[in-house]
Amino acid sequence: MRKIAALAVVTFAFAFTSGCGDLSRDELNRGVESLSALAAQGELIANGVARDATKSTYTRVMAKTLGGEAEHEAEKLADAEPSPEVRRERNAAVQVAGELADLFSELQTFPGDEHHGALVEKHMGEVKGQADALVESLTGEEA
Amino acid sequence: MKSVLKIALGIIAALGGFLDIGDIVFTTQAGALYRYDLLWAVVLGTVGIAVYAEMCGRVAAVTGRPVFDVIRMRMGFGLGLVSLLASTFVNVLTVAAELGGLAIILQLLFDAEFSLFVVLAAIGLVVVVALLPFGGIERVFGCCGLMMLVFLATAIHQGPDWGEVAHGFVPSFSDSKLYLYFVVGVFAAALMPYEVHFYSSGAVEEGWDESNLRENRLNATVGYALGGILACTLIVVSGYLFHPIGVDPTDLGTAALPAQGAFGETGLLLALGGIMFCVGGAAIDSSFAASYNLAQFLGWEWGRYRGPRKAPRFTASWLLFLFLAMLIVLSGINPVEITEYSVVLAVVALPLTYFPILMIAGDRSFMGKHANGKISKALGWIYFAVIIILSITAIPLLLMTNGGGG
Repeated sequence: MRKIAALAVVTFAFAFTSGCGDLSRDELNRGVESLSALAAQGELIANGVARDATKSTYTRVMAKTLGGEAEHEAEKLADAEPSPEVRRERNAAVQVAGELADLFSELQTFPGDEHHGALVEKHMGEVKGQADALVESLTGEEA
Repeated sequence: MKSVLKIALGIIAALGGFLDIGDIVFTTQAGALYRYDLLWAVVLGTVGIAVYAEMCGRVAAVTGRPVFDVIRMRMGFGLGLVSLLASTFVNVLTVAAELGGLAIILQLLFDAEFSLFVVLAAIGLVVVVALLPFGGIERVFGCCGLMMLVFLATAIHQGPDWGEVAHGFVPSFSDSKLYLYFVVGVFAAALMPYEVHFYSSGAVEEGWDESNLRENRLNATVGYALGGILACTLIVVSGYLFHPIGVDPTDLGTAALPAQGAFGETGLLLALGGIMFCVGGAAIDSSFAASYNLAQFLGWEWGRYRGPRKAPRFTASWLLFLFLAMLIVLSGINPVEITEYSVVLAVVALPLTYFPILMIAGDRSFMGKHANGKISKALGWIYFAVIIILSITAIPLLLMTNGGGG
């Protein structure tokens, strides 16, 4: 009985701690790629606002959803303990995620403002560029 | 003239009703990830559903028996019960996915709490079913689903390299698990079991007999073929717009972006409207399918045409399944995730649905001169082999790719 209990404790401890290892290069890369994908989507949505070619409810809801995803990614990256060789990239990725969340929040606040839309579109493009550069430095391949 | 109109309406209903949230999610993601490379999988799935829908429409018209009657008769109580449990589980998940999809679109159009729209969507479906006759429901959702044609116009407007698009219709394989996962997903989304459950029960609801066999053939072939073309355009517009810039369309609303890019707000509204009627129609179809199966298996009175008084248990079970689906969506699980799971789990249940249809449709003692001919028989068995292979690989691929997350 004691053996079974000990085994259960070890299994539980292993299961509980196995997800808490260092953030690997691959995991970080996947996180940054998803940030790049979010920025690309944000650019398309902002383009619709800039051209006055969308519906404000659509922009607001999409910006809220995607902004939430960017925030979640930022928290996930910030909470993870990076392996030493990717610490600098991890910090840069958290910053990119934060900027992205801010831009989505801007879209959510001004879903019908063409001027804001054009600015956000431009900044989304820049943030996507930063994310792609990070992917490049993590993989050594062009994003 | 009247019969031509009836056939045209049937085709429109099949066309508009072909696409559901599973098709929309998987084709849009497939286009974003693999550009036009998975177009062949849509064709494979479309021919499969046309072959089997034609068979079960024919069985229903000739014998007056819908799919689950046939399953119980052919497989006996034990295996029939397994089939009932599996298909009910998948059908309820599908209803939840469609209901969640409907609520997402309503939220994108009117911007209020998601949970409010889930409840409103469920109530709206009950009202529609209470007010409209069976044929009316099919035609309203089918015709309004034609707003999805905006994606065909978008594809033409985008002007992709059509040679490259044509190349996508040539089957290609890769050792990438994610690619194989999307092959399974795109194929299975076209062959969801609820589609044949609903189709054959619908044939009985509308009182089909042998005189409707031509209509059945046209609905199944032309209607589903046109629906397949719409599914292909979703891959094309997504592949053209999303693939080069690396967009990962994990939200249902993203699917409407290509139409907005091409035609501005009008395009966006048509796309959202089309998706809304497709998923709304599919929510009714899949919830009806779950109740049809239960009632047919247990020998209850069933059918929309009988009304709640003559078929109370059928009506109550329909309301119960819709309520269960509503609870699943309200639990906070993302409807797109529910969709992916329902489609992949449906693959596992496919053999239990399609095998009895194949056997009965080919049984001369039962179907007489309307039994499967050489072509139907060959296609039926080829597709059954494909279904078996996919049902074995679906769950491992789901786990290995982390639900398509890579």
